[in-house]
Amino acid sequence: MSEDEKFDAIIIGAGPAGSACAYTLAKDGKEVLVIEKGDTPGSKNLTGGRFYTYALEMLDADLLKEAALERKVTHEQLMMLSGDRGITIDYYDPSFNQKGHTPVSYTILRASFDEWLAGKAEEMGAVVVCGVKVDGLIEKDGMIVGVIAGEDEMYADVVIAADGVNSLIAQHAGLINDIESHTVGVGIKEVIELSGKTIEERFNLKPGEGAARMILGCTDGIHGGGFLYTNQESISLGCVLMPEEAAERKISVHEVLQNLKMHPAVYPLLEGGHTVEYGAHLVSEAGFRGIPKKLYRDGFIIIGDAAGLVINTGYSIRGIDLAIVSGIAAANAVIRANDTASVGPAYITELENLKLIPTMKATDGFFEILETPWLYDKLPNLGADICAYLYREDGELPGSIKKDILKLVKANGLSVFQLAKFGLKGVRSL
Amino acid sequence: MSKTIVCYKWVKDEADIKVNPDLSVDLSKAKGKISDYDKNAIEAAVQAARLLAGKSIGLTFGTPKTKQSLKDALSRGLEEVCWINTEAAAEADGIVTSKALAAAIKKMDDVSLVICAEGASDTYARQTAPRLGALLQWPVITSVSKIQINGDILSASRKLDDCIETVKVKLPAVIAVLPEICNAPIPGLKAVMAAGKKPIAEYQAGDIGIDFTSKSQVSGLKAYAMNRKNIILEGDTSEKIASLVAALKKEGVL
Repeated sequence: MSEDEKFDAIIIGAGPAGSACAYTLAKDGKEVLVIEKGDTPGSKNLTGGRFYTYALEMLDADLLKEAALERKVTHEQLMMLSGDRGITIDYYDPSFNQKGHTPVSYTILRASFDEWLAGKAEEMGAVVVCGVKVDGLIEKDGMIVGVIAGEDEMYADVVIAADGVNSLIAQHAGLINDIESHTVGVGIKEVIELSGKTIEERFNLKPGEGAARMILGCTDGIHGGGFLYTNQESISLGCVLMPEEAAERKISVHEVLQNLKMHPAVYPLLEGGHTVEYGAHLVSEAGFRGIPKKLYRDGFIIIGDAAGLVINTGYSIRGIDLAIVSGIAAANAVIRANDTASVGPAYITELENLKLIPTMKATDGFFEILETPWLYDKLPNLGADICAYLYREDGELPGSIKKDILKLVKANGLSVFQLAKFGLKGVRSL
Repeated sequence: MSKTIVCYKWVKDEADIKVNPDLSVDLSKAKGKISDYDKNAIEAAVQAARLLAGKSIGLTFGTPKTKQSLKDALSRGLEEVCWINTEAAAEADGIVTSKALAAAIKKMDDVSLVICAEGASDTYARQTAPRLGALLQWPVITSVSKIQINGDILSASRKLDDCIETVKVKLPAVIAVLPEICNAPIPGLKAVMAAGKKPIAEYQAGDIGIDFTSKSQVSGLKAYAMNRKNIILEGDTSEKIASLVAALKKEGVL
């Protein structure tokens, strides 16, 4: 292809969404150009992170064998912190990781995963250009026909924005407005290096096994939470907070993470480790209602985080898998559509077929549940109070458990009615 | 057609090099990059080739990993790259490196100018250009901050300790340039895309016909830690100044 000819598709961003899309298109023989702002794919990206394997199998089952992954998640954990107290629930289920079956999810470090996946797209024939920032879109007769990068213009039948949360390209195209502070969390994370053996001992893991932990009650009462993932030879520890609340209460996000690290129930897990990475990123928190009204224009579609495809249920967070699925959906749409105008509608159909939009819709109720303010301070404190009550013995005559627990509920500023209402709301909205 | 050759080195990115508490150096996580000063040298070669109405060619001597550098070098405006690919490069000293580069240069016709950076960003040994000049029996100009080309006469400004020296040579010649010779712009989209289609010549060790055994061997690598005196001077300002002077005298600094 000569330089002046146009590509079948230009993809902006070589994250999981962009690379999955490029891989699928290139495999079909399409001429694809991927433009990545970072010096290497993944160098500007951040995740908690965990990755659900079904998405990679959907892309190409062979890829899973050689993917740059860390540990298969065998231990699902939930931690509630209150003051210097902590409750940890550890769910172990061998059926998630049966021999001969693909493990459900792996822990992951984005810098290596993204670079690997972009490399796979390149092997398939996609042209991947790194270190180049796309400055704008070229519009002709109401259609997007190409991109502008510095002094260069490049043309394509379809431009696909995979430039992540707060997509500037989708803003250029007029599909989304500037970011609204209550729809995003700010996530910060440290990668703390420890030997694989130490990690396995501290988390009760066999070699290759990993733990994924969500942490409640570590955010000073701000809407948000912490996370901890065990990698091969490091621990990813971080938290996500609503920046608006943190700013109102003049709480620094860094301080929240620092306090989490020093918590007496967390510090022994990290002791002796070295922080090798510190990063921050925005996270879409709005779920289904955060998806832009329109995901396409003529000649233009948005995928992955740029399209708001993130699910936070409180007990797990998904984004990378949804990004890959949306990339596949976009590629299928480009491959199957007869003309540029039908790519957008075909993309929406594909998103429905691949169950992506229905999944987002089904988990929409979590948004309201997670808006409940007492989830982030009073509930973890009540949990700790109940444990303290149940486990403390002093040789005295036990009181009525029911009465005493009701007292604790009241002492925490909550009521049975409130808890029951919350439970009912939870059942209804899901 | 006249050829301008620029030699560049694929080095470890110093940002990824970790120093352990025992001062041993961990290179295992370090990615590679084209030595920073070589990026300026490459741009200088592209500009010089334009003045000589000829071609600019990149030349590198490295292990198989050096392959990653070729596209980056080409996206910086060079028309071709030539890569001497051998594991022996990992252990090569200044003599072996220059012999290998000289052997590759001798295989090319009409070479008017060879440009090196003054030193590489890892070792900064400043050996390649002078040794290349000796092997090719061409004049060498080092510490070059500016060049002008008129026909086959190159005049160079040499930045010395306390003066600028201007030197003229008849081409062909070898020059070692300082980073200030010119800016190294970040390649644009089309330049990066075009790089994928440019020719790459690859030589194996056997094609070069030299002895790759280094006379000097690296026996150890250790980080250097500054030992600080950690002396805090007490008292009012005049007392502090007096004790500072006394302390410096004691150290033999004054």
